[in-house]
Amino acid sequence: MIEYPYTRREFLEMIKKASLASLSVGLTGSSFLTSCKPNNKLVPTADAVILLWMAGGMAHTETFDPKRYTPFVKGMDSKSVISTFESIPTKLDGIHFSKGLEEIADVMDLGTLIRSYRAADLGFILHTRHQYHWHTCYQPPQSFQPPHIGAWIAKELGGKNEVIPPFIDIGQRFTVGEGEELKAFHSAGFLGSEYAPFYIPDPQTGLDSISPPQGMDLARFEKRHKLYQDLLQSGPLHDRHPYQQDSYIKSMERSYALLKSPEAKAFDLNLEPKETYDKYNTGRFGLGCLMARRLVEHGARFISVTTEYEPFLGWDTHENGHERLVKMKELIDRPVSLLIKELKEKGLLDRTLIILASEFSRDMLMEGRPNQKVKDQVDVPDKVAELKNYGMHRHFTDGGSILLWGGGIKKGNVIGQTADERPFSTVKEPIVIDQLHQSVYHALGILPETNYVVEGRPFYTTPDGHGKKIQGIFENGM
Amino acid sequence: MRISKNKNLLFIVILIAGISLYFFNQHAVLQEDDEELNLLLLKIEHSPTPILLDSLNLKVRAIWTQKCYSCHSSEKMKADLALDTYDGVLTGGKDGPVINVNKSGRSEMIRRLKLHRGNKDAMPPKGESLTPLEIKAIATWIDHGAVWAKGKVNVFNESPLALQKPKLSEPSEYDNPVDIWVDQYFRKNHITWSPIISDEKFIRKVYLDVIGLAPGIDELHEFINDKSPDKRIKLVDQLLDRNQDYATHWLSFWNDLLRNDYAGTGFITEGRKQISTWLYQSLLHDTAYTRMVRSLIHPYSESEGFINGIQWRGEVNASQRTEMQAAQNVSQSLLGINMKCASCHNSFVNNLSLEQSYGFASVFAKQPLEMHRCDIPTGKKIKPAFLYPSLGSITKDSLQDRLEELAQFMTSPDNGRLYRTLVNRMWHQLFGRGIISTLDNMDGKAWSQELLDALACDFRDHQTSIKTLLKLLLQSKTYQLPSVDYQSPEEMNRSSFIFNGPAYKKLHAEQVIDVIGQCIQPLYEGVSFDPSFHRLPSQWIWYHEISFDRTVLPKPGKVYFRKTFDLSSPDKIKSAKLIATAEHSHRTFLNGKEIASGNDYRYFEIKNIKEFLVTGRNMIAVEAINDAEQGDMANPAGFLFYLQIVKDNKDTSVIYSDETWLSSNTEEHNESWQKINFNDLSWKHAHRYYNFTNSPWGLLTRFGIDSIDNRFQIARAALVQADPLSLALGRPTRENVTTKRSEEPGLLQTIALTNNTLLHKRIREGATKLFESFKSDKTLCIEQLYLKLLCRYPSEKEIQILTSYFAASYQTEDIEDLIWSIIASPEFQYL
Repeated sequence: MIEYPYTRREFLEMIKKASLASLSVGLTGSSFLTSCKPNNKLVPTADAVILLWMAGGMAHTETFDPKRYTPFVKGMDSKSVISTFESIPTKLDGIHFSKGLEEIADVMDLGTLIRSYRAADLGFILHTRHQYHWHTCYQPPQSFQPPHIGAWIAKELGGKNEVIPPFIDIGQRFTVGEGEELKAFHSAGFLGSEYAPFYIPDPQTGLDSISPPQGMDLARFEKRHKLYQDLLQSGPLHDRHPYQQDSYIKSMERSYALLKSPEAKAFDLNLEPKETYDKYNTGRFGLGCLMARRLVEHGARFISVTTEYEPFLGWDTHENGHERLVKMKELIDRPVSLLIKELKEKGLLDRTLIILASEFSRDMLMEGRPNQKVKDQVDVPDKVAELKNYGMHRHFTDGGSILLWGGGIKKGNVIGQTADERPFSTVKEPIVIDQLHQSVYHALGILPETNYVVEGRPFYTTPDGHGKKIQGIFENGM
Repeated sequence: MRISKNKNLLFIVILIAGISLYFFNQHAVLQEDDEELNLLLLKIEHSPTPILLDSLNLKVRAIWTQKCYSCHSSEKMKADLALDTYDGVLTGGKDGPVINVNKSGRSEMIRRLKLHRGNKDAMPPKGESLTPLEIKAIATWIDHGAVWAKGKVNVFNESPLALQKPKLSEPSEYDNPVDIWVDQYFRKNHITWSPIISDEKFIRKVYLDVIGLAPGIDELHEFINDKSPDKRIKLVDQLLDRNQDYATHWLSFWNDLLRNDYAGTGFITEGRKQISTWLYQSLLHDTAYTRMVRSLIHPYSESEGFINGIQWRGEVNASQRTEMQAAQNVSQSLLGINMKCASCHNSFVNNLSLEQSYGFASVFAKQPLEMHRCDIPTGKKIKPAFLYPSLGSITKDSLQDRLEELAQFMTSPDNGRLYRTLVNRMWHQLFGRGIISTLDNMDGKAWSQELLDALACDFRDHQTSIKTLLKLLLQSKTYQLPSVDYQSPEEMNRSSFIFNGPAYKKLHAEQVIDVIGQCIQPLYEGVSFDPSFHRLPSQWIWYHEISFDRTVLPKPGKVYFRKTFDLSSPDKIKSAKLIATAEHSHRTFLNGKEIASGNDYRYFEIKNIKEFLVTGRNMIAVEAINDAEQGDMANPAGFLFYLQIVKDNKDTSVIYSDETWLSSNTEEHNESWQKINFNDLSWKHAHRYYNFTNSPWGLLTRFGIDSIDNRFQIARAALVQADPLSLALGRPTRENVTTKRSEEPGLLQTIALTNNTLLHKRIREGATKLFESFKSDKTLCIEQLYLKLLCRYPSEKEIQILTSYFAASYQTEDIEDLIWSIIASPEFQYL
């Protein structure tokens, strides 16, 4: 356990000095990039973003856009299966969710429900390719590595609190299948590693990532640093370091300050009352939501919490879809609603934009989208012989749900619609990823034409700078 | 996306933004262009010859290209005005003629260009205004008859293709061409040679540059005590002869350049192929560079991964089809040309057109490719063509023949660009700044074109041996100049850069990791690519963990394995050698007796277990534990086993871990499970989580019972798959070509140095060993660390600081903190 030796104020003074120094460093380091930012300003409605990532393809018809309930009957026709759950009412009149999402239904009056997300058509499905596209807005591969949306935000706005890394990624491990593809978009790309995600695979041990080395107490950490300093000052170049080393030394100072920061307690879930901890604890995702709340309270900028992608697990149901979704809903329902309620109680919801989304949806029969049907990856028998076959086992890209709360997002709002009969495609107000990204940037006051010149080419937040924010998604009528 | 009209608009918007930003960035370049233009105008004032007027016209059109064509070209025709044809210029637009030949003072264009922003007639209304010099150039052109030249408008500078071997005007006092031309350069720029660096600095630098390792203490002493005048020359030769170490170190440079890696996107769907073996062998044997280039361009199966590119499952953007990737990567890596822009639309960073890019990409395609502009098909098929028709035309039909043709053109002695590009990259590696600073744009300005061309000629004329080239650079006096404190990255990248000596270089991730591995404790045990091809059939097995019918990662906890095998007569056995390891721990029993154990997969010994074997059925029983690394999360685990039994008649049999072994995760409370007659009907087959060559712990190079002479003693970082530590220290993911690593590490890197778990675990292990060896001699411990890590003795002041530090406490953790303080010092991190 770390002790926190400074008051918050003392500490912030100190870190300010260290980071001002490294700010100049950061600028020189990325001098090959030139930002193109006109002077007109947007008035931000949000300071922080929490992305709740439903990894693996969440079926809209089984969650936030339920259709007619077709109960399991042994031997039923596969094509007769519509929704495998009953519908439940939400706080919004006439809007229903799928059974198992009662608690999220209870906070829907605080946010906007998009029922018309249309994923890109990238041909033969590969989850990580669609996830790459979702998170970067660019389709892989690219001749430059595009940044993750969190990295763009980190670059444009920096840390809200200088001590907390601006882009924190909770819950994803890279030792799983498709790990390399996952790494490819969990990246700051050409913006440079300064803006790369700060990983916390397990919220329970999140503190370790932002502390002195394991097994080193604060006294020793300080003693070690003093030795390093003493030797540095007596070293061969003690009076004047070349700029490369100068930037390195400043960066070392900032790391030192960061790792002994009292703000590290934001990462310590043990400081939560047991009752709260237990309520959130539906698993790593639930605890991730709790950590996200703590981090926002301490001034984090962009946090992603994932149910974790691992091929054929989580939302990636290639069989047993119905039974597994019961579990997935248990995993997310309470922590998500708690997160929203608690942020509201603490007065933080107004300035925190929360997004719940997935790379695409699923369906019992349709792979890809109507007219663009792609190669099947799952054998779906004509008859549902056993419970194992009952569920959404194919990947569907033509409709999907996204939920948003806070940060200026309109309350009790529904956008778009999908068909009530198969295929459950978007029939009204289709929304694409560029629009979602631009809406997030808009809320944060990041201009739509934001770009950097890389190898002589302007690279925009959304391809060619073309994305437009979603119409009518904000409270202020924007 | 939608309709092509929008696309054109988009293209133009990008063009404006791109060009203005590019020029904003390239301010220094512009200034040089200014000088040239000024000179041209002066000459014309003096005597307006047709040749001069032609080149003025081309300059004027280049200015229009940058600042006017976005609205006034045949594609766009805003106000009905097109400035990209002579007709268009003479005709003018809907408001009438724009020029009045011979009368610039009465030309609408000049009037409007001179207006202030804000006036509704001012041109251009957006983007960067024309400079007074540019306006003067256009006016001069109008006043001299507004002639239209036939030549090609080159907006950007293009270096000549052929090498020009420079000639000395007078004999030089130097022999090495590097020093000859640097000396010429110094004279011209009134720079005096600085004294060369000390032996200590030289040996550290040359070791790290050539083989990526630090010299051992003995090697250091031997070198310093050597009194022969040519000892530095000899050392370079010796190091270049350490073929394995050389190849391993330089593998990282080439992997970056050729976008080769052991893991990454694309492999999962077989849309990507390694070229590691080919590359390593080429470096090991110092294969001629032209031969390497031929193998990359007209490849055989081991080198085809480069031009085959990365193919993800599904459909991709036209500018990222694999043939275009090949064109882009060949251009960038081998020729120093940026084709990335021109694969979507005509480039605004060089003179390449979209059609040229497609022509080049078509060389790599089975059929001519249909040109796409900004991902919209144009219907136009583009015939295969090389970028430099002067070297030859692509004539053959079949893909293979075409690639062979291309390989020939690329490696032609007249393709100076190939040799310059490589020489410049090598110079950058050793001197921290290229002779041309833009490594991937070889049309940039060289601080000494003579030096660059002299070296490129030398390289070409010496069978393009990379080692010969390196030798030339390393044995120069220039290489021995002290590192220079250039003021800023801006100064370094400026085209008016003045070379005074090498720039400071940050050690690369691999160098940091290997030196720590060598001097303190190896960071890794396993590699991802093993050039010695050490292979065993053993598999990393574990209890098969299943969730919803899917294999998932092992849960923390204890598991058991059983395996039986039959032996006819153990007394005829000559030897029975066993080696076993596990992540995280194991105890292995044979017929009820413990024969091996371990709690760290890196440590294993060969055991002779002949005496434990029995006639008939033998029983191997293992209990193994998967520790929780974080919380109670499932995490990779495995048990690896190999037993070789050799009989007197030399018959050999092997038993190894695989899926025939039985496994259970039910806690056993007595030892009966180790016995043959134990009822294991409820046990199921173990699962092969990884094979020998491919596990999260890498291929264990020392795991085997044969002699390890030919195997690697430490797992060099270049051979290991990127991990969080190496990535934080600056190793790039090789999804794209990387030709330069950062000299200024960011926060992520220094945080990793400050608290990375693996690094600190290894420092602790190393400190523990050091403490054991130097318990009673603090001074010697300090001295050894300085010599190993920094190649020098500690100064008096340093000894003073450390003596008082150790006087307070001298324990393992104090040594640990000293090791860290040295590793974290800029002196260690930079050359």
